[in-house]
This record gives sequence, structure tokens and C-alpha cells, in this order.
Amino acid sequence: MIKSFAAIAAALALLAGAAVFEHCHVTRSLHDFYEEVHVLYEKAEAGTANVGDAEAVRTAWEARKQTLHIWLPHGDVNRMDEPLSEAVRLIAEGEPRFAMAKLEIVMHAAKTLPAGYRLSLANLF
Amino acid sequence: MIRTAVIYLALLIVMRLMGKRQIGEMQPFELVITLLIAELACIPMADTSIPLLYGIVSVLAIFVLHELVTLIDLKVKPLKTVISGKPSVVINKNGIDDYQLKRNRLDVSDLIGSLRAAGYFSLDAVDYALYESNGTFSALPKQDLASMQPSLPLVVIDNGKFDEKNLAFTGVERAFFEEVLRREGVPALRRVLVLTADGTGKLYLQVKGEKFRTLHVAYPNGKTW
Repeated sequence: MIKSFAAIAAALALLAGAAVFEHCHVTRSLHDFYEEVHVLYEKAEAGTANVGDAEAVRTAWEARKQTLHIWLPHGDVNRMDEPLSEAVRLIAEGEPRFAMAKLEIVMHAAKTLPAGYRLSLANLF
Repeated sequence: MIRTAVIYLALLIVMRLMGKRQIGEMQPFELVITLLIAELACIPMADTSIPLLYGIVSVLAIFVLHELVTLIDLKVKPLKTVISGKPSVVINKNGIDDYQLKRNRLDVSDLIGSLRAAGYFSLDAVDYALYESNGTFSALPKQDLASMQPSLPLVVIDNGKFDEKNLAFTGVERAFFEEVLRREGVPALRRVLVLTADGTGKLYLQVKGEKFRTLHVAYPNGKTW
């Protein structure tokens, strides 16, 4: 009996801990990533973005991906890769206006992705 | 975790509603666990696009639910019936309990099959028979059991309908059994829950809603099997 209660309590603690950590980690990672992309977007809008800025954003994202893959389906994480790589290339080619469209896709994805895992009726069913 | 709990509860309810013929030797909640664990463990293993953590969380959630349900099953008697069900007495002193059979999605043929598997070849060979909550079959035989099973009884009428195959096997005309029913005051064939006949001329007749009766008849031309 005591063993059962202890096992239930331990399992619930693990689950709750994992849920809280996942929520905090995913939200913070994607929020930080959003901020970085947003800065790049503003630079692109001002015409001051260079390939170094874009590469820095991509490198930071690659590092974040490593831990996000533990918590999120890999397909969702990889959704960022394509438009971000295109944006990097467009900035390198001197096409910041076109890069902005790609960065907007990335920002939108970074903003909406955590909502897909939040506790809500729509996500439950 | 909530998704897992929802699926778990839905499966548990469905297994309880399906009755005893579906579960066989496991409590409903144990069968639900068996069904779920395999899938939950398999999907993240096979699909590399899903983090393994999802499988671990689901299995852990199942563990918590199972422990809780087991505790409730052991400690809260009124809820034990809700979770695991209760034994269904399908044969009592009055014969077959048709209502209990239907509640468990069984018919007379299934019952006779269970009796045979338990070593009883005649419906009147047992005083009581029941399906336990885990789906296993138990029977309390009559004291003079050996003298009651000299020949294999066949189901001649099952739930108001003649079993043509068994009827042909007995080699006795349908009219003979209809005459027996008339003599016994059975108003219509559809009122008969079961009529079995063995090679010695012993008939087991139960009309729906009435106590069973055993009759001894002589078959035309001395037929026997």
C-alpha cells in the first residue's frame, strides 16, 4: 500500500516536473529565437542586415534545436529550417526584402508553435 | 498525460460494456493496460519523428492510472463492481438465467460450450454456473453428476429456433419435439429458451422466464446416439 502510494507520488512528480520543464524550456527557447529573428527582420527592413547576422541567427537556432528535439516532434522543429536557410541565402544575395517574407514565416512559426502543446481543449481532442 | 487518461478511461468503459466474452481471464482494466502499453511503447520506437519522451510519459501515465485503479479496486468495494464488474450467475436452481446471459453478450450455445470445456455435458449436471468478473467460467456440479451424463446432450431448440444440424444428428423428426412442447404446455416455439436432448431420451427444457424441467421420453423407433 505504502509502496503503491510512493510509486504513484514519484511517477506524478516526475510527470509534473517534466511537464513544467518542457513548458518553460520550449516557451523560453522559442521566445528567444523569435527575438533573434525579429532583430534580423528589423535589420533587413532597414537594409542593414548582412550575412554575418543571418548566419549568427542560424547558428543559434542549430544549437537550440538539439534540446528542442527532445521535447517536440522533430517535424515541427525542422519547420524552421527551410525558410531560415532561404532567408540567410537571400540576405547573402543582397535581397533583404525577399528575406523578410521568409523571416516572417519563421517568426510566425516560432510564435505559434508553443501554443500547439499548451493545455487546451483543442489540443486535447 | 490527459490524452492518455482519456483513452484509458474510454477503453476501460468499452471493455466493461462488452461483457465477459471479450476479456477472458483478465480484469477489464488489466486488458485495457495490455492493449495500450504495446501501442504506446511501439509508436515512438518505430516513428523517429516523435520524441521518445512522448512514449515514456504515456507509459508512466498508464502506470499511475493502473496503480490508482488497482488501489480503488482493492480498497473501495462499491467501486470494485464498477471497475471490474461482478460474477454473473448464469445457471441457478431454476435453470438458465437468460437475462444474465444477454447482459454478458452470450447465448445458450456459448454457455453449453463453457460447460463442456469445464467437463459438464448436460445443462442439468450443475446446480450453479457463473462467469467470474475476469471472464473465467465456474460451475458447481450436482452430487449425482456421474449418473446425469451418460450420453452427449445436443441443443435441439436454441432461443426459439430449431438447430437443424443437431436435429438431423438426432435422427428424430421436428414434429416429435413439437409434440413434446405441446404436451408440456409451451404456447409457442419462440418461448423456448433451450431444449436439449441426449441419447437416452432425457430432455432438458427451459421456457423463457420459467424454471427448467427435465423429461424422459422414448424416441420414435428407439433412436439413440
